Amino acid sequence: MADPASVTDHANAPQGTAGPDPAPQRPLLPRAIGSRYAGLLAAAAFVLTGALFAWQAALLDLGQIGLPGPGFFPLLLAVLLVVFAAVIAIEGRLASSKDEPLEFGHAQVLITFAALLAVPLLFELIGAYITLGLMSAVLLVFIARVSVLRAIACSAVGLAACWYLFGELLGVRLPMGPF
Amino acid sequence: MTGFEQLVRGFSIALSWKGLLYCFIGCLWGTVVGVLPGLGPLAGMTLLLPLTFGLDPTIGIIMLTGIFYGAMYGGSTTSILVRIPGEAASVVTCIDGYEMARQGRAGPALMISAVGSFIGGTVSVLGLMFIAPPLAKVMIAIGPSVEVVLMLLALFVISIVSAGSRVKTATMVVLGLLLGTIGLDNLTGAPRFTFGSPELSGGLSFAALAIGLFGLSEILLNLEKTETIKAIRPKLRDLIPRWNDMRDSAPAIGRGSVIGFIFGIIPGVSHVVSTFVSYAVEKRLSRHPEQFGKGAIAGVAGPETANNAVTGTAMIPLLALGIPSIPATALLLSALTIHGVQPGPLLLTDRPDVFWGLVASMYIGNVILLTLNLPLVGIFVNLLRIPYQWLVVAILVISIIGVYSVNSSVIDIWIMVASGGVGYLLRKLGYEMAPLLLALVLGDRLESSFRLALTMSGGSYATFLDTASVVVLGSALGLLLLIQGLAWVFGYRKSVTDEAERA
Repeated sequence: MADPASVTDHANAPQGTAGPDPAPQRPLLPRAIGSRYAGLLAAAAFVLTGALFAWQAALLDLGQIGLPGPGFFPLLLAVLLVVFAAVIAIEGRLASSKDEPLEFGHAQVLITFAALLAVPLLFELIGAYITLGLMSAVLLVFIARVSVLRAIACSAVGLAACWYLFGELLGVRLPMGPF
Repeated sequence: MTGFEQLVRGFSIALSWKGLLYCFIGCLWGTVVGVLPGLGPLAGMTLLLPLTFGLDPTIGIIMLTGIFYGAMYGGSTTSILVRIPGEAASVVTCIDGYEMARQGRAGPALMISAVGSFIGGTVSVLGLMFIAPPLAKVMIAIGPSVEVVLMLLALFVISIVSAGSRVKTATMVVLGLLLGTIGLDNLTGAPRFTFGSPELSGGLSFAALAIGLFGLSEILLNLEKTETIKAIRPKLRDLIPRWNDMRDSAPAIGRGSVIGFIFGIIPGVSHVVSTFVSYAVEKRLSRHPEQFGKGAIAGVAGPETANNAVTGTAMIPLLALGIPSIPATALLLSALTIHGVQPGPLLLTDRPDVFWGLVASMYIGNVILLTLNLPLVGIFVNLLRIPYQWLVVAILVISIIGVYSVNSSVIDIWIMVASGGVGYLLRKLGYEMAPLLLALVLGDRLESSFRLALTMSGGSYATFLDTASVVVLGSALGLLLLIQGLAWVFGYRKSVTDEAERA
C-alpha cells in the first residue's frame, strides 16, 4: 500500500515535477574506506609477509641456539612481524577513536603508478630513452593536462637533455633496445 | 699528526678546486631540493649518487653531505613564503614564518633563518670535530657484543621517539631488518630469499628502496592534492632585520644550537624532533608566548637553528661508530661502502682524509649556503612557480635513470616502483618509512655482529651483559629517559603538532 505522505506530496507537488529529485551520482573514484578497515588489511598483509618469510627461513639451516645459522635471524624477525601485526590488528579493533575515512584511487595517482609499472617492462625491450619518453608524454598529457603535441615536444627535449647529462657527461650507459 | 694538523690537511682537500666545485654543487642542489616540496634531502642525495662514482670518495661524500645540510637551508624558504614545508624539518617554521611573511616581514624571517642555520651548522661541525675522534678510540677497544647492544639500542630509540604509533614504528623496524636479510648470508654465503635470482644476491638496492619509500611515495601523496602554490615574493632590500628581531632571535639561536646538537646524536627523526622541541622551549621561555603562531621571530630562529645544528652531530654516530642515525646518513653509509670506505671507529685512522676533508667542507659549505640563499631567494621562489605536475615528470625520469645506473639492473626499477606503491599506502595508514630504512641498513651488520659475538664467546649469551655493555646500555637508557622527560615537561608533541596542523 502506498505511503499516504508520499501520495499527498505527489498530489501537492509543483507542476512539471514528476517526483523527488534523483540522488546526485557519486564519482567512481576516489573511494573512501574506513581507517580501521584499512588498518586491518595492512595488518593482514604484514601477517602474510611474516608467514612467507618464516616459511622460507625454516628451509634454511637454523643452527643452534648458541651458534645460529643463516635461517635463525630471519625466522625470529618473521615471528616478531606476525606478533606486531596481530597487536596492530587488536589495537585497531579496540580503538575508541573515530573511524576516519581514507580516500584511495585518485585518478592522478593511478595514472602515474600505471605509467611507472610499464617502465621496467619496456625499459630493456624498446630502450631506456624511448620508454622514458613515452612515460613523460603520457604523464604530461594526463597529469599536467598538456596537449599531445606539446607533450611529445617537451618529452623529446627533456630526454635529449638527459641523454647529454647522463650519457655523455656522466658516462651512464642505458639500454638502447633494438637500436 | 695532531688534530689541528689533520684539520689543516682537511682544508687543503676541501679548498681544492674539485672540493669547492662539488661542495658548491651539493649545496646548490640541496637548496633546490629543500625548496621544492615533495623531494627531500634523501631523494636529492640518491639522484646525484651516480655522479659520485667517478669521483674520489672524499669529494663524493662532500657533495652528498652538502645536499643534506643544503636542504635544511632551502626548506625554510618554502615554509616562510608558501607555508608548505620544503622538507620535514621545516614544518614548524611554517607556523610563525608564514605569518611573518603575511605581515610583510618575509625578509627578516629569511635572514634570521639563514643566520641561525649558519650558526647552528657551525656549532654542530665543531661538535663533530671534537667528539668523533675520542669516541672512535673508545669504540675500537669494544668488541662486537657492545656493537650489537648499541645497534639494538639505536633501533629501540627509533621506535620510541618517532612520531605516531610505537607499535607501527616497531613493525617498520622489524620489516626493515627482515628485508635486510635478503641476499647472501655474510657468514656462510648461503642465499636467502633470492628465489634463484642473481640480481638479489647482493640484497635489495638501498637507492631503489630509498627513492621508492621516500621520493615516489611523497610524489603519489602530493598528487592527491589539487591546490596551486602561491608564493609571497620578498624584495632584496627588505631582507635586513630590525634591531628587535636580532635581539629576540639571538637567545633562540643559542638555545636551538644546543638542542639540535644534543638531538643530532639520537637515532630516528632527530632533525624533525629537534625543531619541535626548540619551538616548545622558545614558547615556554618567551615573555610573550601569545605571540607564537602570529609571527614570533623566535619561533623561526630556534627551530631553523636546531635543524641545522643536527647535521654535524648526526654524522658522529655514522663516522665514529658506523651507525647511521637518520636516513640521510644511512645513504652516506651506502655511498661510502660503494666507494670501498668503511665508516666506523677505524675510519679516522685508516682514512683520515675522508673524515677531516668532510669536516673542513662543512665549514665551507655553511659559508656558501649563507651567501647563496639570500641573494638567490628570488630564483628559488621562481622554482615554485613551475607546476608541480611538470616537476613530477622530471623527478621520475631522473629517479629511474639514477636507480638503474647503480647496478644496471631492471630489478632495481621494479623495487623502486613496488616500494613506492607500498610506501604510499603505508604512509596513508600512519606508518613511517625512516625506521624501515634505518633498520634495513643496520640489519646486516647487526646480525653479523650478533653471530660473531656468539662465535667468539663459544655460544654464551652472557657476552652481551659484560661490563662495557652494561655501561653503554645504562648511559644510553638514561639519556633516553631524560629526553622522554623533557618531552613530557614541555609537552611539545601535543601543543606544537596542534599548532602546526592549525597553521
